[in-house]
Amino acid sequence: MKKALLVTLATVALGATTIATFAQDDLAFANQIDARQSFMHVYRFNLGMLGAMARGDAPYDAEQASAAANNLLAASKMNNRAMWPAGSDMSAAGYEGISFAKAGIWGADSEAGAKGQALTEALEAMAAVAGDGLDAVRSNMGAVGNGCKGCHELYRADRD
Amino acid sequence: MMKRTLVAGLVLAIVFACVFFVLSMPRPLAEDQLPDHSVNLSNGELLFWAGGCASCHAAAGAEEKELLTLSGGLELGTPFGIFRSPNISPDPEFGIGGWTDLDFVNAMVKGLSPDNQHYYPAFPYPNYQNISFRDLLDLRAFLNTLPPSPNKVADHSLEFPYSFRRGLGLWKSRYLARSESGPAAEADSQLERGRYLVNGPGHCGACHTPRDQYGGEIKERFMAGASSLEVGAGGDESSAGRIPNITPHTDGIGAWSESDIAYALETGFDPDFDTFGGSMVEVQENMARLPAEDRAAIAAYLKSIPAVSSEAP
Repeated sequence: MKKALLVTLATVALGATTIATFAQDDLAFANQIDARQSFMHVYRFNLGMLGAMARGDAPYDAEQASAAANNLLAASKMNNRAMWPAGSDMSAAGYEGISFAKAGIWGADSEAGAKGQALTEALEAMAAVAGDGLDAVRSNMGAVGNGCKGCHELYRADRD
Repeated sequence: MMKRTLVAGLVLAIVFACVFFVLSMPRPLAEDQLPDHSVNLSNGELLFWAGGCASCHAAAGAEEKELLTLSGGLELGTPFGIFRSPNISPDPEFGIGGWTDLDFVNAMVKGLSPDNQHYYPAFPYPNYQNISFRDLLDLRAFLNTLPPSPNKVADHSLEFPYSFRRGLGLWKSRYLARSESGPAAEADSQLERGRYLVNGPGHCGACHTPRDQYGGEIKERFMAGASSLEVGAGGDESSAGRIPNITPHTDGIGAWSESDIAYALETGFDPDFDTFGGSMVEVQENMARLPAEDRAAIAAYLKSIPAVSSEAP
């Protein structure tokens, strides 16, 4: 009886270790993926403030608009290469449903850098005028959206 | 006995061949089925954008004015093989400039070429068949105004049996029934307009409705999301992705208001201010060119369709 219990315990422990090892192997870039997805959330949060004003869901507030636009600009200028290690795309083993990044980002002919630069330019235009009134925010939203879509169109998979 | 079996087998084969021949027969429209129509070019342009013609028929990565040169050649990698979009510019030799209006309507509604060959449903005629003849004639007239392209496009590269075009006649006899997609909403003209745009020119279900093993849309799971048919020309299924559920279910866009849907189609921003990605970017940029009331109609209609879970039963 005691022996059976020991064997069971040992089996469970071994199983747990195996699962933990697998999970660790599978998620070698879990931290990087979490960081870049959280970083995207920061974009959405700030864009959401500008967007709520643009859609008329929130009153225009020059200070808040300017702060959000400057945050977005600063974010787009960060060097985030470390969040995007090669091998963390959706087709890498274990990353399906976790990463939605297409492998093309890391390809020799990747346009990701140029698309990021285009986003920065759109955000520079937005940040320069976001405090000047609602019309200025509205008329720059499209270009900022195009900046985001530029990369998403090429390198983010369709997803539910 | 042996001889009798042989004869019976032969008779059976002939019967099957005859049934196949009849079922797979092309059935084009006749000239007198088209209405007398005076062309409205601006309506034709609206249909051009609503139908997303440029997304498949303009050169890859085309923007702005380049979208109007429908030179074809885009490769669509699917589980059936590689489809290449044809040149539909008005070039008389390499495009469709030499077609009659009837040829054009037969292509869009019956999926038939001018010499009565079946088209593959990678060309979304199962959806386009819901477009009215008058709208098709306007679209044809608009296409005639676009720049001709001398681009010669190679044939599709498909595996047998998919390479056998005549067999598509059987597919059509099963899946090509006019005007049956989506619930009717005749009482409300905005809903009716939305239904028309979504199920006709917009061909939203071509991606958002899952397909059965023969590639036909599963009507019970209308707009409930599907695995992406496109797998990249290299056949890399792992980056195929998933086309989202756009029914009013909580798995879909149930939390979006009509105004959220219309705004997303106009700007590409979803209610969380994420943007569309992948092939939806081009679709959205086409939809952005429609009048605001058409985007509102699409939104109203999408809120009216049955809510369906993303989980297949």
